[in-house]
Amino acid sequence: MNFALRIYRRLAEAFPHEFKLVYGADVVQLGEDVAVEIAKQHGVGGLIRLIADIAIRVVVEYLSEMRRDLRYAVRALIKSPGFALVGIISLGLGMGVTTSVFSRLWAQLFRDLPGVANAQELVMSQNPVSYYYSERYREQKSLFAGVAAFQNGVPFNVALRGNAKPERVFGQLVSPDYFSVLGVKPQRGRVLDPDIDRPGDAPVVVITDRFWRNRLNSSPDALGKTLRLNGQTATIVGITPKDFRGALPFVTAELFVPVTAPAALAPELANDILHKRDAKVFQAMMRLAPGVAIDSAEAGLDTITRRLDDQDTSKPVRGDKGRRVTLLAGRAVLPIPRALKPVVVGFVAVLIGLVLGIACMNLANMLLARGAARSKELAIRLAVGASRFRLMRQMLTEGILIALLGGLAGFGLAYWLSMLSSQLKLPSAVPQDFDPNLDWRALVFTFALAIVCGVGFSLVPALQATKADVAPTLKEGAVTQLRGYRRFGMRNLLVVGQVAGSLMLLLITGFLVLGFSKTGNVQTKFDANTMYLLSLDPVRDGYSPERAEALFEKLPERLKASAAVQSIALAAEAPFSIASRTAQLTAAKDSSDPSRLKLVVKETVGAGYFATLSEPMLAGREFVERDQRLETSADGSKAVALPIVLNESAARGLFGNGNAVGQRVTEDKQLYDVVGVVRDLKNGIADEDQPASALYVPLTRRDFASPPAGGITIMVRSDAGTDALGGIRREIASMDPNLVVFDVRTLGEYLEFSRSFMRIAVDMYGGIGVFGLVLAAIGLAGVTAHAVARRRKEIGIRMALGARKAQVLRLVLREGAVLVVVGTALGFLGAIAMVKILSTLTSIFAEAFNVTTNDPRLVVGAPLLLAALAMVACYIPARKSAKIDPIKALREE
Amino acid sequence: MTDTDLQRFLPLKTQWFHILLSLAGGEQHGYGIMQEVLERTGGKVRLWPATLYGSLKRLIETELIQESAERPAPELDDARRRYYRLTALGRRVLDAECERLQDLVRAIRVKQAMVTE
Repeated sequence: MNFALRIYRRLAEAFPHEFKLVYGADVVQLGEDVAVEIAKQHGVGGLIRLIADIAIRVVVEYLSEMRRDLRYAVRALIKSPGFALVGIISLGLGMGVTTSVFSRLWAQLFRDLPGVANAQELVMSQNPVSYYYSERYREQKSLFAGVAAFQNGVPFNVALRGNAKPERVFGQLVSPDYFSVLGVKPQRGRVLDPDIDRPGDAPVVVITDRFWRNRLNSSPDALGKTLRLNGQTATIVGITPKDFRGALPFVTAELFVPVTAPAALAPELANDILHKRDAKVFQAMMRLAPGVAIDSAEAGLDTITRRLDDQDTSKPVRGDKGRRVTLLAGRAVLPIPRALKPVVVGFVAVLIGLVLGIACMNLANMLLARGAARSKELAIRLAVGASRFRLMRQMLTEGILIALLGGLAGFGLAYWLSMLSSQLKLPSAVPQDFDPNLDWRALVFTFALAIVCGVGFSLVPALQATKADVAPTLKEGAVTQLRGYRRFGMRNLLVVGQVAGSLMLLLITGFLVLGFSKTGNVQTKFDANTMYLLSLDPVRDGYSPERAEALFEKLPERLKASAAVQSIALAAEAPFSIASRTAQLTAAKDSSDPSRLKLVVKETVGAGYFATLSEPMLAGREFVERDQRLETSADGSKAVALPIVLNESAARGLFGNGNAVGQRVTEDKQLYDVVGVVRDLKNGIADEDQPASALYVPLTRRDFASPPAGGITIMVRSDAGTDALGGIRREIASMDPNLVVFDVRTLGEYLEFSRSFMRIAVDMYGGIGVFGLVLAAIGLAGVTAHAVARRRKEIGIRMALGARKAQVLRLVLREGAVLVVVGTALGFLGAIAMVKILSTLTSIFAEAFNVTTNDPRLVVGAPLLLAALAMVACYIPARKSAKIDPIKALREE
Repeated sequence: MTDTDLQRFLPLKTQWFHILLSLAGGEQHGYGIMQEVLERTGGKVRLWPATLYGSLKRLIETELIQESAERPAPELDDARRRYYRLTALGRRVLDAECERLQDLVRAIRVKQAMVTE
């Protein structure tokens, strides 16, 4: 009984201040009056009812107060639409960008691989392994419950019916236990199974739901149907579930072919690749055995790999101490090294923090100014009995309301950005399949962000505004304290913070923008629209390696005979692509000295490549048809010295200023004869300050027999205006109408396309930087305007005493200038520190920052730009101060 | 105040109706209202204290009742308590609600008569 009353009184204390003031005593009184009677009548149940009643009412009263706060906040915002609009737009931009970045990061790094079971048990080897090694790994039953090997981004020329025109579709080559390791059950039919799918069986294929829907119209009798894959027949045995997009789903996979398939169906499997211990072309996906941690699995796997490496007598013994195997968490859509995760997350967090921090500081500033203007209203409310807590809550409600509206706008922006990026194609031979869609996590994130921002930017102004001394504020003059220029005032601190933050943002994004844009510019010596690029992959049209080779020998001659064609060359990749392969070269005479190793970009090009690009050889010759007939093997064990062309940088790096032509270089065990030297050409990652060394090897029979994912690219130069493309297509069709010609475009289109990715990054980071700049300017202008308004009387007195306009202007500007200078200095130091930290943590940023942190345009320009803009932002409102009429200002009291 | 303005209060919430009804006879304090409702309904309806004061607050806000400045005769006055009374609006809303309920009861009677015949 007494206990119940104690709880009752405690709860009565919890009522909102204003309710308590009026009814608190009555509620307690009445409760005490009736408690005895209730206990007598209803027993313990009655007392519980009594307490439940008051507990519910406390909540109801708070909710009703919140509703009132909200109504009041809406009215307040409608009354100052300019403030509301700036707040909503700036927060909306900030939150939109951050939500979009967050959701992409989340989708790639933290969302579980869609469609697989118990994703947390999956690990992946960071580097590709050979199929042979993956089989040895599978034997480690104490470490792994299962080990699957697969190749992704494998192209197939697929014909739905025997005589239909094939289409190029990308899929994966997988070990038969791939699905059981991932824990994927079929939607229809069966998935691959090591007990059923054995070498020598008739070829089978498992298709994805997407393939089934888009290409087979969800046909119910798809199972058992046959497809022609690379000219061979394969039977569809199963369809994977709807959400499953394969391991590493950012590379599109529409079908899965077992590695037990014949090499005729998948040229990737030629040369007995499954049994070659050093053919490291497979990804290994492993499921940890129960209770095994990723670190112990990695240690165990390292030991095994070391033993396997040592057994290989054909290779020199490696004495290195470092780990040979690194495991990645396989659960993520985009697995990245575990050590890199905090760095990436940290960088994004810093960027998000800066963007939102600036937006919040900006709003806090505006609210401070508003709070000062509203001090009279607040003082009145305090005087008539509103609690300080109540007023703060009112102001927080207003802040959160703005933030929520901003969040709504931001979510819309993020949605728009995600729509935009889903239409974006990445410049790579294999289609990329990012899932940029926002999900509920993004919504929760934005909402949480809005609340945090709302509280963040309105708390300090609320504390300041409600601190107002009631008595003096209520007296006539709203501006009573002549505090003028307080060195460490809250508002000054905010301005300094805002300027510093904006400069940091501007510099960091500027470094990235310059770094990116430097890498993307390619200048060709001819009109890029007079070169056509087409790709062929005859092996996947069912050609035998010999026939493919013959075709590529004949094709250039046939095309050259056509009148429209000026020159023609073959290549393994389109020219000026982003280089994907690198090699370690040494001059043959220095091959024993590992310090003389030189890292170069490796490109595979055919006869007449440089002539077709209008690049004269600086020395020696370029490749001719004869070079294309050379025989090579995957591991270079047949030590035929291949002719190569070096670019200027590589030649200088290896041979100094001596003549490179005629010299020998080695890569691992492969010998090369340098036959020519060519000017440094851009290849997508280099820039004019730091050109990359490059090595050009000739296209050989092996490339024709097993072309890369992009096929063999045919480069054709023709006179402007002629219908070269139609002629080429007709010519190819006359040789074989069943050949699939794909990726047809002009070099100009290709360059545009490959730069689009960079351009988007540049636009995005540039946009963020400019956004910070504009916000900082708005904030400063607001603060200065407010300072001028507050000091009206002081300025009036000064002018009445004879101060001239210029002096007044200087007085106001000096205040702003000090803040800007301090902020700029701090921001500059902050940006340098940030760049240093990021660069030491990871080489990704180091590369981008390295080329640009010394760029005077940025290092000097950005602070100057910011300072200049800031001073303009100060000047405009400061000019008002000079227009103050002393008589009026003094009479206002 | 027109009829349509009164209509927006109807139907009244049960607690509101009982409170207004208790005040129909004259001003009353919280404890009194609670006791009266309890007696009138034969113990069926109990207005729990916090709910009672929450409702009183809202009734005041909607101007259906007001706090009474006059005190009753000294020998009946309980100095600790606040007294409440109906406003003119409150009385009209109560009348309108009573009429509505009576209409309902009439409708029920007619129906019962039809069924029993």
